[in-house]
Amino acid sequence: MKLWPLRRANGDVAAPVAAVTRGQPHKQVLRPVSPVFIWTSLAASLALDLLPWGRTPLVPDFLALALVFWNVHQPRRVGMGAAFLFGLLMDVHDGALFGEHALAYTLLSYGAIALHRRIQWFPVTSQSLYVLPLLLLAQIASAAVRLWVGSASNNWWIGLTESAVGALLWPLVTWILLAPQRRPISRDETRPL
Amino acid sequence: MEYGPPPLFNQGVSARARLAFFSFLAVLLIIIDARVNALDTIRIGVGVMLYYPQRALLWPRDALEGAGRYLATVGSLTRENSRLRESATERAAQLLQDEQLRTENARLRQLAGLRERTGAKSQAVQVLYEPRDRFTHRLVIDRGSSDGLRAGNPVIDEQGVVGQVTRVFPMMAEVTVLTERDQSIPVEVVRNGLRCVAFGGSEPGTLELRYLAANADVSSGDAVVTSGLDGLYPAGLPVGTIGRVERDVKDQFARVIVHPTASVDANTALVVLQLTAAPLPAPSREDPRNEHPGRRSARR
Repeated sequence: MKLWPLRRANGDVAAPVAAVTRGQPHKQVLRPVSPVFIWTSLAASLALDLLPWGRTPLVPDFLALALVFWNVHQPRRVGMGAAFLFGLLMDVHDGALFGEHALAYTLLSYGAIALHRRIQWFPVTSQSLYVLPLLLLAQIASAAVRLWVGSASNNWWIGLTESAVGALLWPLVTWILLAPQRRPISRDETRPL
Repeated sequence: MEYGPPPLFNQGVSARARLAFFSFLAVLLIIIDARVNALDTIRIGVGVMLYYPQRALLWPRDALEGAGRYLATVGSLTRENSRLRESATERAAQLLQDEQLRTENARLRQLAGLRERTGAKSQAVQVLYEPRDRFTHRLVIDRGSSDGLRAGNPVIDEQGVVGQVTRVFPMMAEVTVLTERDQSIPVEVVRNGLRCVAFGGSEPGTLELRYLAANADVSSGDAVVTSGLDGLYPAGLPVGTIGRVERDVKDQFARVIVHPTASVDANTALVVLQLTAAPLPAPSREDPRNEHPGRRSARR
């Protein structure tokens, strides 16, 4: 992990990547994201999904949440390819049809990337309202695949409440995953800005 | 380089093109997996890759359970101990009788010139986890093809049939429970030997006997066991008891709901049966007309 400030060979300080959290009461210049943190967080959310939840109700799909988060905040680093590959992993773990989660996560990722400029204008709590339909879209896509293949039980729609829980968790996810970028830059009292 | 277009808006392939590509790929995979079953090697490869993380992630739950067991009170342990001893003594008598009956039965079958009943090797397994799948009810167990399990092996608990192994990985296997919609199992009613096929019921947690005539001799409370006709399940394993029989005048078939004896939800220890005899050969798919060459030639 690179530490701020980066000093170039000629001694200049590298310019910060100005990613500002817009529309929030306390505007703050975020530090550049570390790719290591992105992939670690995605792996951790996959691990959360691999935990033996069984048929416990109301457990959200953590991987879907993390994918939406990174697609919204770093659409050029985490795209549909990553979503597709993580989907294949989930397919094997869940014993689902090969490609079912991959399709759902691809659609989810496309939705998040298409909305990423708009979502960031809203405060975090309102962003949940954009995340909810995205998560629902993913779940309905996989349900549609099951109904098409003909192996869905009659009460599959109860699972849709998981998306609501996921959307409620969105502010928490944002807080956790943005935390490394919010860390104060090394304090320097003499610097003018 | 200096005179090239600014890289400001250069984002590579457009998002829609990527969406089209990846969703096409996913749909292709789904179709291949659902219709051709050609992706099992890839699935097994990914499954082996995921195996160790999966096992590692089961550890927190197992540790919690272990801690809970460690802190179990002496009272509950003595209670459980006495209950187990009771059931053991109860079964000891049954077992003695059973042994005698089995030898007698074998001798009688030999005398009558009947084919030997298929024997089954049994293997105790542990349930690792239930996949987070809202659509189908499955269990993942801790033995796989390296222990000789094969897709199609019946899975039982101490009360009856739980389900069937449907997919095998080298070190794990997936079990689909009986009450799943796609599952079917050949059964017979103990009281009168009526044979039929039980399917996963439309109500969750139940089975249904299909294709029974509306006047079939079944009534609520009858025990249902496997008939062993498919060569996959050994005969005589308890499947369930008939709960409700609906005979509708306008319908040709009776609607028979069966409640499974095995507890499909709360099991951690199961037994997989591996039949030693080869299953019966599948019926040939040839055109039935070929079986009557005489008639065919006569027609020509």
